[in-house]
Amino acid sequence: MSENPLLRVEDLKVNFPTRKGLVEAVRGISFSLGREKLGIVGESGSGKSMTGRSILRLVSAPGQVTARRLEFDGIDLMKASESQMRQIRGQRISMVMQDPKFSLNPVMRVGEQIAEAYRTHQNVSRDEAKRQALDMLSAVRIRDSERVYRAYPHEVSGGMGQRIMIAMMLIPDPDLLIADEPTSALDVTVQLQVLAILDDLVSQRGMGLIFISHDLSLVASFCDRVVIMYAGRVMEICDAKNLAAAQHPYTRGLLNCLPKIDGGGSDLPILRRDPAWLEHGA
Amino acid sequence: MTAMIEVRDLNVIFGRGADRVHAVRDVSFAVPEGATFGLVGESGSGKSTVLRALSGLNPDWSGRLSVAGEALTRRRDKAFYKLAQMVFQDPYGSLHPRHTVDRILMEPLAIHGFADPDRRIERILEEVGLGPQFRFRYPHQLSGGQRQRVAIGRALILEPRILLLDEPTSALDVSVQAEVLNLLQRLKKERGLTYILVSHNLSVIAHMCDTLAVMNHGAVVEEMDVALLKRAEPKHPYTRQLMTASLGYDRSAIDRFEDFGIDAESSGVPDTSTDAPQLESERKRGP
Repeated sequence: MSENPLLRVEDLKVNFPTRKGLVEAVRGISFSLGREKLGIVGESGSGKSMTGRSILRLVSAPGQVTARRLEFDGIDLMKASESQMRQIRGQRISMVMQDPKFSLNPVMRVGEQIAEAYRTHQNVSRDEAKRQALDMLSAVRIRDSERVYRAYPHEVSGGMGQRIMIAMMLIPDPDLLIADEPTSALDVTVQLQVLAILDDLVSQRGMGLIFISHDLSLVASFCDRVVIMYAGRVMEICDAKNLAAAQHPYTRGLLNCLPKIDGGGSDLPILRRDPAWLEHGA
Repeated sequence: MTAMIEVRDLNVIFGRGADRVHAVRDVSFAVPEGATFGLVGESGSGKSTVLRALSGLNPDWSGRLSVAGEALTRRRDKAFYKLAQMVFQDPYGSLHPRHTVDRILMEPLAIHGFADPDRRIERILEEVGLGPQFRFRYPHQLSGGQRQRVAIGRALILEPRILLLDEPTSALDVSVQAEVLNLLQRLKKERGLTYILVSHNLSVIAHMCDTLAVMNHGAVVEEMDVALLKRAEPKHPYTRQLMTASLGYDRSAIDRFEDFGIDAESSGVPDTSTDAPQLESERKRGP
């Protein structure tokens, strides 16, 4: 981690008032991010996606986001105005969502959507934007970029759609990319190919990456550091290469209940949840 | 005959003309009684389509299918469904949202005219690890794992000898997946069931199965004993690549990935990008 982290999060909370009382989706988490790959891992409902969304201030009412500190490259995101946020979103911090089916405009050619993302932040001609979009499509290893540029979202496969999403998010050249389960709908080989694209961008452009996932073994092999979340709290932050030696019982439980290719045929260990985890974070 | 399930030269073709998709190509395998057979492959490989042809959900097949020594016809009678039941991938889509657990479990009993439904429902809830307190709840009041237990209970309440499992845990968190896999293992041991398990996850297949077939573009590329998989000794390069990929992220291995396309002999077959969504929607249609 560098001296001056790209992103600093301290005591972030996300609450939703409901008829049945307050739902605490994120209960005071802290972490910082340099120009590295940070994984946020947790089961469904652990608050990992809400963490990603609150960095971009995308949690909509009635959700309430509070933080002692939410600072991106010296900018206080909690105090930033809506117009400042529009400058940041896309251009400086962008986000890839899980499912390209719901994130792409179904009635607009994908190439035009990518070019639009570029033109929103750069004052360039249509031709120039198209050229950049085609370059970007090649950069995410789409071979036939001219044909894909003209395709509609329903005409492309899931893996292709996800690459298109990534191209669209990367074309403004952001400093930080938040990827929320960007590959979990994809086949395993395609998934790794998409991750390789992100990996190269982090090492070549010095981009920061927050990789949100439920797949512990994937995150362990892909990221530099891992944040383990449970019920809105951080259980543990550790170096990815040391994840196998993690100490927290929740992390250990998650690791143990994965079936292994070379494992025995006996019963899988069941994760026992300790109510104390709800009270104390890391 | 020793095989509980036999599949010979199974072919499934969807559509015609330009839209023709040869989803399953000359697939053959046999499953002995009491065994678990795995079908593994990526999306669009045809693994679910094989299962749907077996279960009678897809009548457009050719070849020979037999279960417990009886050849299967396009249309199945009640006796077949008493013998073989299916569990689907998405427990959010496969249970009727306006029916209570009680009604969901009652329906197969009523169709097959079982006596004493009350006791059977109570017992099956117990067996799948849900207490009687779940009996009058609606699916939306249950977690994903609990729903999948109800779906397994609904399949088992007819006391079938075969369970066809289509990605039964891929919509669940890993901790819940472990519970459901353990439940399936226990029920199999107690009842001497025969399973066919479809999954894209090699670790799940290795954990559950005795033998497995690896599918790609509708054809079986390799059938092997699970011991071979556990020793990491698959023969076919496609299986080896799948195995490397499921071990996690390795930047250098990814550049060596090949595209195992369909051979030139197959004409008029679109690439996976167009047939994958079709299979996806097929699978989600439910029982």
